[in-house]
Amino acid sequence: MWTRKAVVYVGLGTTLVLFSPFIDNLQLFLLGTTILGFVAVHSLVNTRPIDVKITRGFDAEQVFENSPVSIDLIIKNKGRSVGFLEVYDNLPSEVEVDNGSNHTIIRLQKDELVINKYHLNCRLRGQFRLGNPSLRIYNPSFLFYYEAEIESKSSLVVLPQMEQIDGVDLSTDFPKMYQGAMPIRRIGTSGEFYGIREYAPGDDFKNINWRVFGKTRKLMVNQFEREDISDIMLVLDAREITGTGTVLQNPLNYSCRAIASLVNYFLRSRNRVGLTIYGETVKVISPDTGERHLYGILTALAEIKAKGSLGLHTILGDLRNFTPRSPVMVVSTLENDPTSTEALREITARGFKLTIIAPDTLNYDRDSRIISPTVYFTASASLDNKITEARSLGARAMRWDPDTVLSTSLAEVIR
Amino acid sequence: MRTNTSLSFMQAIATFALMSCLGLAYVINPIEDSLFFKAIDTMVEGLYQKEVLSELNNSVVAGMLLGLFVGTSYIFLSMNKKMYDYSTLFILVSIILIFVASFSGYDSFPYYITQQLFLWFWIGIPITIGITGIWKNSIGNQVISAFLVIVMPIGLEGNTNDQIYPILGFVFSFILYLELSYGHTRYSRLARVMYFSKEFETVLNWFLTTLTLTLALTIGLTSVAFLFHDFLGDILPYSFSNSIEFNTIYGQALSILVFFMIWAVLQTLFSRGYLARQVED
Repeated sequence: MWTRKAVVYVGLGTTLVLFSPFIDNLQLFLLGTTILGFVAVHSLVNTRPIDVKITRGFDAEQVFENSPVSIDLIIKNKGRSVGFLEVYDNLPSEVEVDNGSNHTIIRLQKDELVINKYHLNCRLRGQFRLGNPSLRIYNPSFLFYYEAEIESKSSLVVLPQMEQIDGVDLSTDFPKMYQGAMPIRRIGTSGEFYGIREYAPGDDFKNINWRVFGKTRKLMVNQFEREDISDIMLVLDAREITGTGTVLQNPLNYSCRAIASLVNYFLRSRNRVGLTIYGETVKVISPDTGERHLYGILTALAEIKAKGSLGLHTILGDLRNFTPRSPVMVVSTLENDPTSTEALREITARGFKLTIIAPDTLNYDRDSRIISPTVYFTASASLDNKITEARSLGARAMRWDPDTVLSTSLAEVIR
Repeated sequence: MRTNTSLSFMQAIATFALMSCLGLAYVINPIEDSLFFKAIDTMVEGLYQKEVLSELNNSVVAGMLLGLFVGTSYIFLSMNKKMYDYSTLFILVSIILIFVASFSGYDSFPYYITQQLFLWFWIGIPITIGITGIWKNSIGNQVISAFLVIVMPIGLEGNTNDQIYPILGFVFSFILYLELSYGHTRYSRLARVMYFSKEFETVLNWFLTTLTLTLALTIGLTSVAFLFHDFLGDILPYSFSNSIEFNTIYGQALSILVFFMIWAVLQTLFSRGYLARQVED
């Protein structure tokens, strides 16, 4: 392909060659001739086809948000030597180059191998496709170029970031006691000994450890492990409205992080966790346990996009199949959902232990001027009303400021 | 050689090439034959009713030096916005004062010197603009400067084969100026992106080496094409080679055209052979 410079050169050279005889000017004539000759000579320099292979190497194909990924772009020349080779690795706009560059210019000798290293910072969850690297060869004076794409696509899954949740009892008052249940190390009422503590008024006399009293003359009571393995259903709101805000700072992203943290916490406590996502459609991941299940849910969270406007009531049908009186945690702002009140009432009426976490990005949206102060106050008041309404139904409901640690906020509402 | 050194080297050589091609342009086309300066002479004479641009030829070197000075000053001044503003204001006020003084016949004003400065300014303007283009990476300035270098010295007298060496020198330095200034603009832009790359320096060296070789080859080719005219004169029938048409610039143009046709045919044949090999693979 010709560059604009080559076209200008040929135009200038031709004009000079044609015009100079009229003014009997050998200088301009030879200048025009030389310019044309220069273009002709350069059409032979670094313009022949090349044979370059490019492969992309990752240190991890699945990473968590805000984790770096190291990429090696291995460029191998199998053909003639190339003087000017521009390589551009096509990246999705959601990832950013942290160290090094996905754009390089190299000189490749025959059979030479060059590795271009760079690091990506993945700040946004999602399933991304890294496109084909683009090649461009220029001849040295930028007169001709050749562009090509090398087939080398790869995918990168960025899972939502997980927060460590500790010391928050989010499980049910009605544990699911089934055969072979594994007791967890938490104070409860089973027969397994957990530890001793000082007597407090109101403690059952039968739990007093008389042997310790005999030795120490202090009233101490025995504590026992609690077996409270249960099914927990998490509900995620992925309606279009949850994508309001910036690409990074929006309720859906924070909801995904909250869900990921909760799933991790519950699964590590050996509970069975399920996930229902509503928005454009209703997607249900049945309750299960184990590491594989965790990654299944995290991958599903990575793929979620804010779409659709289905209300909370659409999940009620699926909840009917779920163990009664189990905990249900809804992560939603409940904004613009006229069915939410009715749905919450029905969930609590069926005896599910309901917890609502409403990620609140309104302050950020107002400070970033995404919404006006008037809209802020209206939306904030509406959210407060929804929270109060949910609490009046017996649910544990909270506005969660994503800048604060989730477990701290949860501890406050569960207290 | 480090990238910055190579880029500075390109700028320095481009500046030198610009001065060289402008100087050679005035060697080939005497300044008193230049249509541009004849026009200025006529205009100034009409304005002041006096012949002022009488020492044109001697002024070429002074004009180029003035252009170099003005261009360099501009580069340094533009590094500091305040200094640049004050200097521009000072120069503007000085020019207006000179103009007013000349019109109101203020005799104690150094009339002759200001007229010479006026002339030198015009001679040096391609250098001023060119230097700005080279050192401030402005392609627009580079193009304007190249245009002025070609156009300003042009006269109606024409030039002959006797001046072939200055002409070849002019052509060489002119293309060197264009290539290095444009190359510097492109490569320095890329250098900003490629600051971490170890290979970029080798690309830059490859550019400089290839430019030198291809430019030498092209100038050689032009010289051969030029000599091809004499060769044709020897092998063609006497009546043809001795004709008026053959011995004018039109005849030379035709000879060069024939030479490049042969070149094009050879290149096409070479390319066809190359393509055939690709198909066999």
